[in-house]
Amino acid sequence: MSIEVKGVSKRFGDFVALDDVNVSIPSGQLTALLGPSGGGKSTLLRIIAGLESADAGSIVIEGVESTNLPAQKRNVGFVFQHYAAFKHMSVAKNVAFGLEIRKRPKADVARRVEELLELVHLSQFAHRLPAQLSGGQRQRMALARALAVEPTVLLLDEPFGALDAKVRKELRDWLRRLHDEVHVTTVFVTHDQEEALEVSDEIVVINEGRVEQIGTPDQLYDEPANEFVMGFLGEVTVLDNVRLRPHDIEVMVAPGDPLSTPGTVKRLLRVGFEVRITVATAQGDVTVLLTRTNVRQLGLEVGQQVWLAPAAGAHTAPVPVAG
Amino acid sequence: MADTSVADRPVRIAPVPRTQRRRWRPKSPATYLIRLVVVVYLVLLVAWPVALVATNTFDGGLDSVREVLEDPDVMTALRLTALVAVCSVVINTVFGVGMSLLLVRYQFPGKRALSALIDLPLSVSPIVVGVSLVLVYGGRDGWFGPALESAGFQVIFATPGIVMATAFVALPLVIREVVPVLEEIGTEQEQAARSLGASSVQTFWRITLPAIKWAVVYGVVLSMARSLGEFGAVKVVSGNVLGETRTATLVVEEKYLNFDQQGAYAVAFLLAMVSVACIVIVAIIRPKEEKR
Amino acid sequence: MTTTTVASGRPAGKRSRRSTTPTNLTKASGLGLGVAMLWFSLLVLIPLCAVVITAAEGGWSNFWTTITNEQTFSAIRLTVTTAALVTLINVFMGTLIAWVLVRDRFPGKAALEVLIDIPFALPTIVAGLVLLSLYGTDSPLGIDVANQRSSVFLAFLFVTLPFVVRMVQPVLEELEKDVEDAAASLGASKFTTFRRIILPSLAPAIAAGAALSFARGVSEYGSLVLLSGNLPFQTEVVSVRILGSVENNNLAGAASVATVLLVISLAVIVTLDIIQRKVASRG
Repeated sequence: MSIEVKGVSKRFGDFVALDDVNVSIPSGQLTALLGPSGGGKSTLLRIIAGLESADAGSIVIEGVESTNLPAQKRNVGFVFQHYAAFKHMSVAKNVAFGLEIRKRPKADVARRVEELLELVHLSQFAHRLPAQLSGGQRQRMALARALAVEPTVLLLDEPFGALDAKVRKELRDWLRRLHDEVHVTTVFVTHDQEEALEVSDEIVVINEGRVEQIGTPDQLYDEPANEFVMGFLGEVTVLDNVRLRPHDIEVMVAPGDPLSTPGTVKRLLRVGFEVRITVATAQGDVTVLLTRTNVRQLGLEVGQQVWLAPAAGAHTAPVPVAG
Repeated sequence: MADTSVADRPVRIAPVPRTQRRRWRPKSPATYLIRLVVVVYLVLLVAWPVALVATNTFDGGLDSVREVLEDPDVMTALRLTALVAVCSVVINTVFGVGMSLLLVRYQFPGKRALSALIDLPLSVSPIVVGVSLVLVYGGRDGWFGPALESAGFQVIFATPGIVMATAFVALPLVIREVVPVLEEIGTEQEQAARSLGASSVQTFWRITLPAIKWAVVYGVVLSMARSLGEFGAVKVVSGNVLGETRTATLVVEEKYLNFDQQGAYAVAFLLAMVSVACIVIVAIIRPKEEKR
Repeated sequence: MTTTTVASGRPAGKRSRRSTTPTNLTKASGLGLGVAMLWFSLLVLIPLCAVVITAAEGGWSNFWTTITNEQTFSAIRLTVTTAALVTLINVFMGTLIAWVLVRDRFPGKAALEVLIDIPFALPTIVAGLVLLSLYGTDSPLGIDVANQRSSVFLAFLFVTLPFVVRMVQPVLEELEKDVEDAAASLGASKFTTFRRIILPSLAPAIAAGAALSFARGVSEYGSLVLLSGNLPFQTEVVSVRILGSVENNNLAGAASVATVLLVISLAVIVTLDIIQRKVASRG
């Protein structure tokens, strides 16, 4: 195991950011810390980096006891949400910073900077100032800067959070491919479950300072450990006292299945290739997701009588008893 | 990896000219009236009197300035003023940058009171500054003065006292420039440097200092102008001994009161030149810096 | 693909706030604070305390007699009333000047910017000389205020010029034009917009500038030396009065009058602090 977090707690005044967190992050993999804003995931990442100190617990990085090690001695690469570009230095100087601190020979530094700028596609911008780059370019520069020192682990704090949707998606794919090339143990924080599911090998779900579940994206999506994880990773609807995903519901236009629930189509909302259907049943409204083709085939219209049943192989969970 | 399309288009940061940024509006008569009032007010209060000092100085050609510069007493005074100003600026710069870092980056009890008290020297009368220093460091019956004097260290009526008085009045200037900039740049760049292996000393010299560089420069320039021109506080603590503790501003007073108006104007002109030069330097650097 | 309703809220805005929160003192910074405080105390705090303590040593009645001495009281009255009057003018003219500097455009405006700072940078003794050249005995305008009461007023006006302007200017620059446009679109006249929208936003800056300008006026000394003649009961201000006591070796008397000035300075500092808190809480 590459990063061992044991019994870590952290408070900010009255606010409990982390409450006895235990996590093992495997070597060479891309792990996501996923959770809602203010849930403590960024704090955990900053504690691993040494930018924040834990009130209790220990951190071991690649076998090195690091709990009381200052940030500059942990050899971690850290990438900030808002880039933290050194504004007065050129792109090349930014990337070279860690190497110059380590007093590497000039020729080595130049070579390594060139390699890295190549890797992040910024070679032609080497002499620009960060202010002359776009957000996506700045973040790639920050990544190159963090990778320059050959860190034991690479930590990214909401790395794409400040970018617009399109760039975010592109950078996300690019990060995945970069990781496949470089293979450095990588941990990134995100509040976007889609990002986590798409990019990571493993996901740690953190909420209210506690670890809710650790697993592969498939495990988390298909076998959520609890209500929170299920709700956080995707939309949930309730059909016949059972919680399930809206796209895991089968819609029939004729009664047949005795276990199906009857209802009336209340609203049809088309979003691109998908159609969100709200069906009023005796137990309340149910949300169903179908493709546009499905809806056409079934000829659904508002006011129509339909019968709903969980699709075969769908993950379902009982609705918790209130109180 | 063929994703050069990611976002390789550089951001264009062509500055929008002010004239385009705001919609053009027809100017009302009120605009012209206000402009006229402001210009006339500033000309009568500042521009004209300052210009007159320049012309008065050169009434008799360059002779008066040359005469003054050849006067050994004036030269001693100018040298003393320069020495005192440099000492006080160096002290205030080191103290100011350090204090700004402490006030912005750290949390400690009494911080709010301290940050309010730091501004106090700006609103204390220079005469009060002088009196307060005499009360503590006065050689005869100050609190610490007699002890220091018996140890061979004279403060009041000597150069150290003049330096202290000058440092006192100019104390907040560097801090007032640096604190807002430190607040604005935040700590992320410093944290990034730390995570890349830089020690706190390396982080300060390589990251923090370059980021606050211009604020420090403004602070230094303003302190310099203030230090060169300090008069009241220096008058109280210096004893005004000819050729020893008489600074340039004291020379202006002395010459004027002794009916050497030409001499007074000449020295005043030299001092005014330096402080106006300071202001112009700031005016030139500042807009350039803000564009970055 | 589904999108959740849980996470699609605001992107993490909490972090950036936390990262700017000051940290507790480390060993090195604690030492630095110690050294800085020692110097600040030796230079500023202890001497100022000495003023108050020296004044208090004589007892209340002594203090009262000193500051109600006819000549001293007349100096205090002249200083405070003139400073107040000048501050009033600065509130009006300073705001007007700031307005012109921010909103108007004409050739030579950059020169006005420099003019504003000159009174701050000019040595005060030189400021007195500067004013004498236009308003002294050889005045080209035929106005001679030398040794008149109006000379105190003029000197205060000169040295306090930058304060309101420099406080109001940045606030005015940041004021969003949108808000004014919105007010106009809702039917407000230019004057109403100024009174109801702009003035309230400028008020804290104007107040802060006024406080600084009052403090500077009350404590002024250098520019008056050559200009006012320092005539008792006529043009003598508090600082000159204190210097007189010092020159007569009456340090206790000087300390008593200085305490009055210190109290005014402290009041200004507290006012500024309160204004700043108010502005900060407004966001």
